[in-house]
Amino acid sequence: MIFHSLDFIAFFAIMLIAYWRLPLRAQNVLLLVGSYLFYGWVHPWWPVLLCVTTLVDYWAARRIFELAPARRSPILAPRAPTPDPRRKAWLWSSLAANLGLLGFYKYFDFFVANVAAAGAALGWHMSPLVLGLALPAGISFYTFQSMSYTIDVYRGHAPARTNFIDVAAFVSFFPHLVAGPIMRATNLLPQVEQERRFDVAAVRGATVLIVWGFFKKLVIADNVGVIANKVFALQQPDFYVLWAGVFAFAIQIYADFSAYTDIARGVAKCYGFDLIKNFERPYLAAGPADFWHRWNISLSTWFRDYVYIPLGGSRRGPWRVGANLMMTFLASGIWHGASWNYVLWGAYHGLLLVLARGFSAVRMPAMLRPLRMLAMFALTCVGWLMFRETEMQQLLADFQLSPAASTALDRDAGLYLCGLTLLYSLPLWIHDVCEEFVRLEVSAPVAQAVACGVMFAVILVMRSQTALNFIYFAF
Amino acid sequence: MAGPVQSLAIVLAGTFLIPLGLRILNGALPGADVRDSYLPTVETPRPREPFDQEAADNVRAIQPHYAVIGDSMAGIRIDPLQLTRLTRTRVVGLFHPGSPVAYWYLAFKNLVARNQLNEMRGAIFFFRDDQLTTQVQVTPGVLDRVAKDMEPELDRVLSANRFGAFSDVYRVARRVYQYDRTRLWLEPLVVRAPAEVVSGDPAALAAAINTEVFALERLRGFAASDLAQGSGAALDVASTVENSLLPEIIRLADEAGIRLAFIRVQRRPAADGPPPQSDALKAYTAALRAYLESRGAYFHDDWGDPDQPLSAYADGDHLNSAGKVRYTERFAERHARFLQ
Repeated sequence: MIFHSLDFIAFFAIMLIAYWRLPLRAQNVLLLVGSYLFYGWVHPWWPVLLCVTTLVDYWAARRIFELAPARRSPILAPRAPTPDPRRKAWLWSSLAANLGLLGFYKYFDFFVANVAAAGAALGWHMSPLVLGLALPAGISFYTFQSMSYTIDVYRGHAPARTNFIDVAAFVSFFPHLVAGPIMRATNLLPQVEQERRFDVAAVRGATVLIVWGFFKKLVIADNVGVIANKVFALQQPDFYVLWAGVFAFAIQIYADFSAYTDIARGVAKCYGFDLIKNFERPYLAAGPADFWHRWNISLSTWFRDYVYIPLGGSRRGPWRVGANLMMTFLASGIWHGASWNYVLWGAYHGLLLVLARGFSAVRMPAMLRPLRMLAMFALTCVGWLMFRETEMQQLLADFQLSPAASTALDRDAGLYLCGLTLLYSLPLWIHDVCEEFVRLEVSAPVAQAVACGVMFAVILVMRSQTALNFIYFAF
Repeated sequence: MAGPVQSLAIVLAGTFLIPLGLRILNGALPGADVRDSYLPTVETPRPREPFDQEAADNVRAIQPHYAVIGDSMAGIRIDPLQLTRLTRTRVVGLFHPGSPVAYWYLAFKNLVARNQLNEMRGAIFFFRDDQLTTQVQVTPGVLDRVAKDMEPELDRVLSANRFGAFSDVYRVARRVYQYDRTRLWLEPLVVRAPAEVVSGDPAALAAAINTEVFALERLRGFAASDLAQGSGAALDVASTVENSLLPEIIRLADEAGIRLAFIRVQRRPAADGPPPQSDALKAYTAALRAYLESRGAYFHDDWGDPDQPLSAYADGDHLNSAGKVRYTERFAERHARFLQ
């Protein structure tokens, strides 16, 4: 089920009415059933995988917790990790099951195709077994969320839960199931377990978030997405047209992904949950590290806590720190998709961070901040070209394009497409600049009513006629 | 100060009432007097080309026995005059390059099934792969010449495809807010604004961008340029056929006593044999055949036909002129039972 469908709006309304009439335990059961219905709406077999992941992590976390010595409380309180090898075995079993499932669905064909290509290069010709499996939406998100639960129990950051319904509701919570934000057990599970109250003020805030999310998706992301898709359908785009397409894609992916997060946060608020903010005006970042503090925050902090820090983080020498950063971002790249362009994108951002660390001692005057923002946005766009262009040959050709070879028509077309993208995305820029510099917050009910009414009117009139899926559904 | 409940009520009221201002805007600006389309649920009100009555009259004057319907896949394979000679019947071709299945449906309905053709025996549809059930949507305007004033069955199918079970909600929303009328004048302004900044002749720039920068021959394979989407639903006959136009075509044919034939054309073959096709597409074709044959239609799949080697093709999936002559000959022989 997708957010921008009346199926979802009907589902959301019915669930909400039933939900607030039930006691806590029944609310969680309803959330679980509703989440599985939401996830299996188009592909009824997808919830089977979700259930397998949940069962594996529920069981592994319990075994890990039970094997820990010095139980202090019968209600399963958190404790420090111990070197018991069986605990580690259970943790690795959980990780293997989760990553195995993810790897099988997401990377199997990529792996065998590359093995076959490498074999062919060495003179061993084989016909690879390509499964062509459809990737279940959200598998990368819920797998990471579920894994974090087991790891947190292993580390002693969270107790294992005995109530399967609570754990399953945490893993499958429908507002953020398909495209995040990736919530930690330490944050979301206590919310699942505690009594929730219907908060009218929260629903008002949620309404603004949801309308703003729909506006970003239907008016901004889908309209500029059409421009990006057209440009990336060209065999040999011109320099100006290509970079106009990259600019459109930069706006599309931010508007699209942050729209999903805003709608997810708004929907969750209506059910009494707080999901974390996943974006903090990323295109106003003044450097690579700043960008990753603002972009897909839940994923970047996941990689920080479960990959970068275990690798040693920033605690060792500069070479080791650089290697840790590169490994973390390579993993982040491959997380996005089974294709070399994502690996390249990850490596590129890793390299940017390494270079930025190298220059971190250089102090820049505050008045240069707008220039640094502009430079970072340009660097981010270079990354988006690697992200969007899945064919490596084409990517190489794209980087060799020169403005000198452009015709006047190509230049005008590029400028026109940039202008159109800018026009569609103007509300997004205004919103972000106001939040960043003026700290302007629309909180008066009348102002919110006007904002929502105008946004709804613009959605009705200017929504794209081409309905595009949320980009991160593909990951 | 309003309480929390009043505050929420204000926000909700603003959200749903402010867009009613679109009606006032529409009344004050041009474009408000355009009539509803023949597809009122799915199309914006717009000026339209009239129904091609002359074409309908011509077909009626011929009183054909068979009508061959489709896009260039049919037009580049079947020569109606040659087929007329070979079968000693009267055959008309209702071809329109690049036309969607909705166009074929309207051509069949308005030029054949409901055009007083007393000697009509069969209609033959040519299609590619999953075109009949999954590529139902239309670009505004392409159906104008074959559409009557209202096309309620087509409107229902298109709205069901686009809006699912909630097409009535969309219909009511369109009537209440009249947002389509606003779109009619506002969207061109938005799209034209950057062109006016960039060029002294915005209309010429827009036309050149469409016909030169994004010319068809400059595009690459769409599958490669689109982000991978994990959906297997599109190739499922069971989930798509009831929302397609096939049931309506079959109903019309039954009503008019016309037999139906569906010919799936072979796409451009490889140098060493027929073109590759996925297991999903093979399964889809088998299910489509079963569906159509169970409803009395004739079905033939050209895939793997040894008489259609690569040398018979011109560009893309189109046959060359010699290939067309040969195809029409073989068509008359192979489907002689249907053409009796």
